[in-house]
Amino acid sequence: MSTPTIPDTCPRCDTHEVSLLTESPVPGRWSMYLCGVCFYSWRSTEPGYATDPATYPAAFKIDPVDIPKMPVVPSIPARRA
Amino acid sequence: MAYEDLREFLATLDKNAQLLRFSDPLSPEPHLGAAARAVSNLTDRGPALLFDNLDGYERGRVVLNVVGSWPNHALMLGLDKDTPVKEQFFEFARRWDAFPVEVGRREDAPWREHTVEGDDIDLFHLLPLFRLNRYDAGTYIDKAPVISRDPDDWDNFDAQNVGIYRIQVKGKARLGIQPLPTHDIGLHLRKAEERGENLPVAIAVGNEPVITTVAGMPLMYDQSEYEMAGAIQGSPYRIAKAPLTGMDVPWGAEAVLEGEIVAYSREVEGPFGEFTGYYSGGRRQPVITIHRVSYRTDPIFEHLYLGRPWTEMDYTLALNTSVPLYQQLKKDFPEVVAVNAMYTQGLLGIISVRPRYGGFAKAVGVRAMTTPHGLGYCKVIIVVDETVDPFNLAQVMWSLSVKFHPAHDLVVLPDLSILPLDPSSEPAGITHKVVLDATTPIAPEQRGHFSQEVDAPAETEAWENRIKQLLK
Amino acid sequence: MAYRDLRDFLATLDENGQLVRLTDPLRPEPHFGAAARAVANLTDRGPALQFDNIDGYERSRAVLNAVGSWPNHALMLGLDKDTPVKEQFFEFARRGDDFPVEVERADDAPWREHTLDGDEINLFHLLPLFRLNRYDAGSYIDKAAVVTRDPDDPEHFGKQNVGIYRIQVKGKARLGIQPVPAHDIGLHLRKAEERGENLPMAIAIGNEPVITTIAGMPLAYDESEYEFAGAVQGSPYRIAKAPLTGMDVPYGSEVVIEGEIIGGVREIEGPFGEFTGFYSGGRRQPVIKVHRVSYRTDPIFEHLYIGRPWTELDYTVALNTSVPLYRQLKQDYPEVVAVNAMYTHGLLGIISVRPRYGGFAKAVGMRAMTVPHGLGYCKVIIIVDDTVDPFNLAQVMWSLSVKLHPAHDLVVLPDLSILPLDPSSEPPGISHKVVLDATTPIAPEQRGHFSQEVDAPAETEAWENRIKELLR
Ligand SMILES: [Zn+2]
Repeated sequence: MSTPTIPDTCPRCDTHEVSLLTESPVPGRWSMYLCGVCFYSWRSTEPGYATDPATYPAAFKIDPVDIPKMPVVPSIPARRA
Repeated sequence: MAYEDLREFLATLDKNAQLLRFSDPLSPEPHLGAAARAVSNLTDRGPALLFDNLDGYERGRVVLNVVGSWPNHALMLGLDKDTPVKEQFFEFARRWDAFPVEVGRREDAPWREHTVEGDDIDLFHLLPLFRLNRYDAGTYIDKAPVISRDPDDWDNFDAQNVGIYRIQVKGKARLGIQPLPTHDIGLHLRKAEERGENLPVAIAVGNEPVITTVAGMPLMYDQSEYEMAGAIQGSPYRIAKAPLTGMDVPWGAEAVLEGEIVAYSREVEGPFGEFTGYYSGGRRQPVITIHRVSYRTDPIFEHLYLGRPWTEMDYTLALNTSVPLYQQLKKDFPEVVAVNAMYTQGLLGIISVRPRYGGFAKAVGVRAMTTPHGLGYCKVIIVVDETVDPFNLAQVMWSLSVKFHPAHDLVVLPDLSILPLDPSSEPAGITHKVVLDATTPIAPEQRGHFSQEVDAPAETEAWENRIKQLLK
Repeated sequence: MAYRDLRDFLATLDENGQLVRLTDPLRPEPHFGAAARAVANLTDRGPALQFDNIDGYERSRAVLNAVGSWPNHALMLGLDKDTPVKEQFFEFARRGDDFPVEVERADDAPWREHTLDGDEINLFHLLPLFRLNRYDAGSYIDKAAVVTRDPDDPEHFGKQNVGIYRIQVKGKARLGIQPVPAHDIGLHLRKAEERGENLPMAIAIGNEPVITTIAGMPLAYDESEYEFAGAVQGSPYRIAKAPLTGMDVPYGSEVVIEGEIIGGVREIEGPFGEFTGFYSGGRRQPVIKVHRVSYRTDPIFEHLYIGRPWTELDYTVALNTSVPLYRQLKQDYPEVVAVNAMYTHGLLGIISVRPRYGGFAKAVGMRAMTVPHGLGYCKVIIIVDDTVDPFNLAQVMWSLSVKLHPAHDLVVLPDLSILPLDPSSEPPGISHKVVLDATTPIAPEQRGHFSQEVDAPAETEAWENRIKELLR
């Protein structure tokens, strides 16, 4: 079993902080990857719409600069005195 | 796939386990009406009901609920009985395009077997007539095509009208009829009375279901119902000449009553429980004298329960109301995908469209109100996106729940015309109408946040097919 | 009639022909989501789907659509699988009156068989996690009971909360969760964060269906979901202590995950395809660190397809939304007969009432908008008479078609609160709402001509019973 090649680019936010999330319990069937920026995850055996940065639809792409602007749910309360 | 007559259709229902026979002795009231009401209450997949042991009759038979379910409606169209309503709609609309299909004439009609005339006629002996709803004025014939000709254009086949009107049986050979002025028979009667003549009519009781359905359809004045029936059944419709009046009547009818509407006669008729779920009230309406009756041996009295929806009436009117509205809307708005106007004959309708631009869906809804049928119906029109099946009410409720914004999507139109039978109209015949736009707003409208709709996962259709097989 | 665990319920489904096993080798994406979407598309009487040959797993199993049809929902309640929805509603409401039913504790829970701690934990190996809808951010757990306690009152059993929240699996032992501030878990988290603490929690995956249904029900803050589950299943609900956190979790769970929500942390989560039929968008939400997992041998991953209605979600929230609304309305308005708030979790609801006087039905509709659940839902409320079954949409369409007069029966309320997930709201969270009053006007209102409604013929009920037997 060779170690899987980790993809270079996140299909969703197009950054390059992809890590190996897990490998299949039965060795060699598939791997799952995780983006460290937008926390998108995917399985190597999924159809292209979920795995290929080039075909991932624009409506669902995320620009990393927008992440800090996303609504915080729930908001973080102040500590009690 | 054409059915020769009612008996052949009943045999098909029987083969498909869509016919129940009741052979225990029964008095017609209240049982026959109750049984037909009951089967509609229970299910939209119910059987036809055949009664063959009726109190006071040697061999009288009554059949109810013949088209009173979606499986029976599908079988009428020669389709598999499990065909979804939406597919039945598209098939019905597709066949409509084959109109006109020339008729087939044959003079060996089975109803030529027996004849009675004049004083020998007793409709109550011929057919097991009965009161349907508790407070109906009497016994009615409510599912029989009535054939009349244009007195000014007697030989014009296309102007000959085949329609279904409620008929109160007032004597052994005497009937009351409701020929509304807006209907073709109303026009024929007006012309006859202007000429100072009676209007000859033939009434064909007990038929294969297609002519009954087409007879209830709002066709143009000079469109022949028989030629439309030929289109819908996919082969020439077989007719025969009625011996006394010369009317063209269905070849396969169980009984053919011939007579005339007596000019200037107006006599109290009704009330009769109507398709709105309310009684009609009493009116002064024309009278028919029957002169001759032809019939098959042991004729079957085919009858229809109507009252508060859903009843057999709603199945028989469902597509023959929806499809004409669809065809008329399509002419200017090819973006109309399907029309479900089956609620109380189109008092409420649901239209699915592919909107061209913002505001478009509302225009389609308002247009529906100005089609010929819409002038008397279409009080509530719900417009949904093309991705929504207007025949699937759970999907329609979803559309209203997430796409409809009451600040933007309610269009109320004041004081329009409506059929006077609408019990909410005030005065009778006038009401506000409303369009509920449950489509997704599109440019130039910019509102809401609709960009990320959840589509079906890849492979969903393949799985539908696989699971469908597993569930068979 | 209580089910011991998920396996017991699946066995019952199987006996009733309501479970389909798929044993061919399948990749989770796109097949699991597609199959669950497909079965919901095809029918409202469909089976649960069990997958037991999953690519990459030795012996893993996933179950979808466990409660995803009316027969399965009826079996959950221990009723005959053909029980009509309206009867299921009344039975559910009736059992709710037995609340609270004290729990039963047992410490030999089957999930004690196996344990993993800390770095041993890999949720992806334990369960066949998968992406459900095409553009979900990743793998989710969306049908698990999440248990937390009130940090200011940790011993209070009633304040312990059991709820269902969407959970994104972001790592082998790391999760994202959506604890909406309005929900009880949101309150628990706020208190923990005010105290500068993490919030301990347990996540119970794979359960008999009653606790899953109750966990999705809007109960009062100090009402115990377990005591309500006991009422609904008709016997004490059996729970066990989770070993690390001491949370009370279902005795019969397949897997119990324990960990804590990290105080003060928010991280991007989503989008996730939601019950509105639209994706939720991305938000910054709390993170869970998992410390310990307990599980049965070969645990079953129970999961739920969610997306455009109808899906399994709509069955699971149907009555647990309708019944609380019914109970709350009943308090002031005993004239409320039934509530069907199952459309998009109650964004659209239908209420049947016996109006006391003119205008009364509209007041009931407006009240629905101000009950706790109504503040975020109830955008469209349709009111019908007590003689109309609000679960029968054809009857509801009839009511709208003949009883609604748009000049009198539309009440639009501007700019009220709504859940922000409503895609038509603008800004998100604000919408007009509307009451459609389709009841018969009564005194002092004097309009329309409603006096002669067609009631069912005498003996209709007897005939319903007779025909029901014949159709079996
Ligand atoms: Zn990313």
